[in-house]
Amino acid sequence: MHLEFICNGKKVSVDVPADMRALDLIRDVMGLTGTKEGCARGECGACTIIVNGKAVNSCLMYAVKLKGKEVFTIEGLSEESGKLHPLQEAFLEEGAVQCGFCTPGMIMSAKALLDRNPRPNEEEIEEAISGNICRCTGYAKIVKAVTRAGLGNNHG
Amino acid sequence: MNYLIPETLDQALRLISSQRNAKLIAGGTDLSVQIADSLISPEILVDISGLEELKGIEEKNGFLSLGAATTIDELVSSSILPHCLVQGAKSIGSPQIRNIGTLGGNICNASPCGDTLTPLIALGGILVLVSSSARRKVRLEDFFIGPKMTVCADNEILTEVLIEKDYLQGRSAFRMTGKRSGQVISQVNVAIWLEAGKSREIEKIRAAVGSVAPVPLRLKRVEQALKGRAVHERLLKEVSELINEEIKPISDVRATDDYRRRVTVTLFRDALEEALQGFN
Amino acid sequence: MGNVKLSSMGKRVRKIDGVELVTGRAKFAGDMKFPGMLYGYARRAGVPAGIIKKRDVRTALKIPEVAMVLLAEDIPGPNIIGILPPFDQPLLAAEEIRYEGESIALVVAKTKTAAKEGALAIEVEIDPLEPILEPDEALKKGARKIHPAGNITYSKKLIKGDIDKGFKEAELVVENTYHTSFQEHAYLEPEAVCAVPCGDGRVTVYASCQSPFHLRGHIAANLSVPASRVRVVQAYTGGSFGGKDDVAAEIGSLAAVASVKLGLPVMIAHEREESIKGSNLRHASRIHYKTGARRDGTIVACKIEIILDGGAYSSESPFVTMKSLIHAAGPYRIPNILVECTSVYTNKTYCGAFRGFGVPQVTFASESQMDELASRLKMDPLKLRRKNALKPGDATATGQVFERSVGLLQTIDKIEERRKSSDLPRDREDDRWLYGRGFSCMLQGISNGAEGIDVVGASVQVSQDGSVLLGVGLTDMGQGSRTVFAQVAAEVLGVTVDRVTVRQVDTDSVHDSGPTVASRSTTVGGMAVFKAAAEVKKSLQKMASLMFKAGEEQVSFKNNFASLKQDDSARIPLREVAAAAYWSGFPLMNLAFSRAPDADFDHETHQGDIYIAYNFGTHMMDIRIDRFTGRVQVLQHIASHDLGRVINLTGVEGQVEGGSLIGFGFAHMEKIESEGGSITNANFADYAVPTVKDRIPTETICVEDYNPTGAFGAKGIGEPPVAGAASAFANAVAAATGVRFTKLPITKEDILKAGGKHGRYSH
Repeated sequence: MHLEFICNGKKVSVDVPADMRALDLIRDVMGLTGTKEGCARGECGACTIIVNGKAVNSCLMYAVKLKGKEVFTIEGLSEESGKLHPLQEAFLEEGAVQCGFCTPGMIMSAKALLDRNPRPNEEEIEEAISGNICRCTGYAKIVKAVTRAGLGNNHG
Repeated sequence: MNYLIPETLDQALRLISSQRNAKLIAGGTDLSVQIADSLISPEILVDISGLEELKGIEEKNGFLSLGAATTIDELVSSSILPHCLVQGAKSIGSPQIRNIGTLGGNICNASPCGDTLTPLIALGGILVLVSSSARRKVRLEDFFIGPKMTVCADNEILTEVLIEKDYLQGRSAFRMTGKRSGQVISQVNVAIWLEAGKSREIEKIRAAVGSVAPVPLRLKRVEQALKGRAVHERLLKEVSELINEEIKPISDVRATDDYRRRVTVTLFRDALEEALQGFN
Repeated sequence: MGNVKLSSMGKRVRKIDGVELVTGRAKFAGDMKFPGMLYGYARRAGVPAGIIKKRDVRTALKIPEVAMVLLAEDIPGPNIIGILPPFDQPLLAAEEIRYEGESIALVVAKTKTAAKEGALAIEVEIDPLEPILEPDEALKKGARKIHPAGNITYSKKLIKGDIDKGFKEAELVVENTYHTSFQEHAYLEPEAVCAVPCGDGRVTVYASCQSPFHLRGHIAANLSVPASRVRVVQAYTGGSFGGKDDVAAEIGSLAAVASVKLGLPVMIAHEREESIKGSNLRHASRIHYKTGARRDGTIVACKIEIILDGGAYSSESPFVTMKSLIHAAGPYRIPNILVECTSVYTNKTYCGAFRGFGVPQVTFASESQMDELASRLKMDPLKLRRKNALKPGDATATGQVFERSVGLLQTIDKIEERRKSSDLPRDREDDRWLYGRGFSCMLQGISNGAEGIDVVGASVQVSQDGSVLLGVGLTDMGQGSRTVFAQVAAEVLGVTVDRVTVRQVDTDSVHDSGPTVASRSTTVGGMAVFKAAAEVKKSLQKMASLMFKAGEEQVSFKNNFASLKQDDSARIPLREVAAAAYWSGFPLMNLAFSRAPDADFDHETHQGDIYIAYNFGTHMMDIRIDRFTGRVQVLQHIASHDLGRVINLTGVEGQVEGGSLIGFGFAHMEKIESEGGSITNANFADYAVPTVKDRIPTETICVEDYNPTGAFGAKGIGEPPVAGAASAFANAVAAATGVRFTKLPITKEDILKAGGKHGRYSH
């Protein structure tokens, strides 16, 4: 099936099999391997991308569902100049990254939150990343990082 | 596998009645996993998630109409829905799943633990099922005939869920519990809608429990026992016994039957208390 | 190396490979792609025990995309994996099936889907055997032998003092039997490898793994080629916690064999279900514990019998057995100890290394005993622990005496302070919520110690521009050891951390450093880096002294400059010193080797000097429990550890917070459910890994009791928090409910059920 959509600000035009998952399109066809596969059942959040402003599990979505949509992956977050997104800076500063496998999905969930709620409280942050499992950090530093990125929004 | 995206409801209806081994897909959060696990192998998927006719929450003809393709997240963010339905919707999966999954999908998936099912039963929900030749209404509590089984025919599409506006009066509450606090499947869930007087006497009540029987269960005898009476500890004891008689929980990987029994009573009492608070 | 003032030490340092991770640019093994790459998928037994009667691959080979099917007889080498003797695990099973996740064949195909389809298409017939699912059944006389030598994997004793005499002195005896359940690592990245034939007679395997040198050995053996023909490069590894060792060797060997046969790259990336069923778990245990004490609280004797359920294969069972033995009596001064520990085969997923390595299980038992003893003595639980706590100069359970870096009492002091300043809100106890506060003390041996030689290789190169390239033989699986190593090198060479790059481990370029285990990276690995950097520094010092025309002892390095100690204003940029050193022909690279002092002990009694140090800890946890649902909320958790010296504070907190949540999951939420030997919750919906909403509010308190055997005085902190948090939780539940739970996990269901018996929690 043919589909066109916008990914990280760029137009994508591609033919995909009907049963291809959005995750496979992004990783295998487009080569954007920052989006990870951790469970293939929507239970870990490692594959989280943003579609039309909403965080979704790309492992549960057929690729054809991206038709006409605006998609963001972790690769679309930092600028081409290499300048990091405030969330990425905050994750580094707070030590919210250990193995880093959950990190892209975690950051995408957090970004979807900050885009609609620039200064979330702790409860809102917990809710937003409750679909993203992290086995390394115990989460405290992740919550702090998202809070920090949100506080930055106040000044900018 | 073929993937078809009809542009109108009529097209969708024609497709499912003319094609063999076609399956409707909305959000696909459950279906895609079932397909990946080879539990089902449809030849054709008909994606109805984009159909305008199936979208949105609106008031019409004395009913609140919820389009079947409304996402769970849209239910969560709605300001006009009864409380228990919002609470139930909020309990489903994760934000990512709620952003894709739909109300119609949660209903038609017919899992005994679906978190919108008990609220909709408590709210007297009515399902509108449409085929190319007919349109019929089914009460939610009559829709399910077993785990993953419903009365919906292969050529029918669930288009909307209706809630009588009377149910916007009154108060409702939902409670669930699972193995953990985030991203969790209900071990038990309970929804109650009621109207009551100032001294806690119940005028009208509907209550439902999930995950404690092959289908979500309306607690009719419990409703009867409570109607017209003021809620106090002795009555609650009586009701607890009735609940235990009505439910038939099993032990599975999520909980034992014993735990389900104990917690159903607690969740019921908590939901009842929350709903009653509005009348104090 | 003295206890000197350090620049980046103890501070918060950003993870040096963090940018790659937050941008998604880091390549994990499953992210790799090579021209012509094929995918492998294993056909698994699906039954826990049986004899293979038929393996017919013809249907699988008919699938057009399928390139090859490997069976046991296609493996050129011995078709064996397994970390330790008796090396009892087949790479591909051909005869007997010993657990459901056992691989029988590997299908290699152009796509993942076709490989999986092919795997399912193989016709396999297995004559089922009645599975042996409990250690007691396995140990019964006349039980079917799971392995030819019988059903005991490993059985040893620790004997200190005279146990009979000890119990004669005891005025009080506390005796209980404890159980703990299996635990899944649940690292977010399922195991993955990619094998690439290099065209020069060698094969490179990129792997998500913990111990690249183990992999190299197994791969070479199964390929039947010299180890020098195999290169293993650790890819970014998405968590391991002990788990990516045996299984990495399994899929690494399979991928390598297939890729060499086909002359094409082969990737194997596990699905989550395979990761849970087909790789090791934490041992389940049964611990019978008898403690004898005097009325004043002095513990005089401990007799402990431990049965570990090791599942189908030995994996690390022998070492886990040893570690359980050594730690079972807890961090206390006890003159008479007898511990027996036996690891047993059953027809279940095999058990091996998992963060804590046998210590969380025994610590749960020993700390439950301490609270039970305290309650019998009507003594404060922390006071009882303080009374028996190991001090410098005391003999541990193995009779080892540390004169330094025994900071247990300081960790107790820290917790005592916090206890006084924060009351448990017990007065808020009402019809709904029960409140409880639990304590635990623990110790965890640092280094391989009794498990064998403990060596680490490290290379330090300084380029002409003064930047530093570091290679260490130990892996960073997320815990942050690369950052610690960079800090150590930066400290020695006087450069800023951003001037240091740490390579992924490549078996071609650094000494075999054994496995990355036992909380030894910082301690032993840090020493290797220290030595290599110090050697390179000699060249720089010599060069700088020539440039300054001053004595070498006058020169110091700081912030990427060489300067004179007396006159800080005379400075030369390090890059100029490095360039000059290069052009003067001074060596700017060094390959160093750190070797922990050999363990000196008796294998029959486990007496002697076993580890180079212990991490000591004391935890306090406050919880409240919903009487009517059993739901638990952790209100406060304080983890105080003696870790010698903090190198990266952010890293330490990360280890303590993350380790504690794994401990909490072990103690409260996580349970492998199975039916007839098949795991029924091999997914993240039904195996309850804690989410952010289940997190606990861990606060880290560092006690720094300088450890002379570690780089800059440090001791590892990776494993210890698991045992501390799990045990404190169990004691908090007991305090809240008045019921001693002797099984982990203590789920909310268990709490509700037990409470119900006492008539306290029913409507």
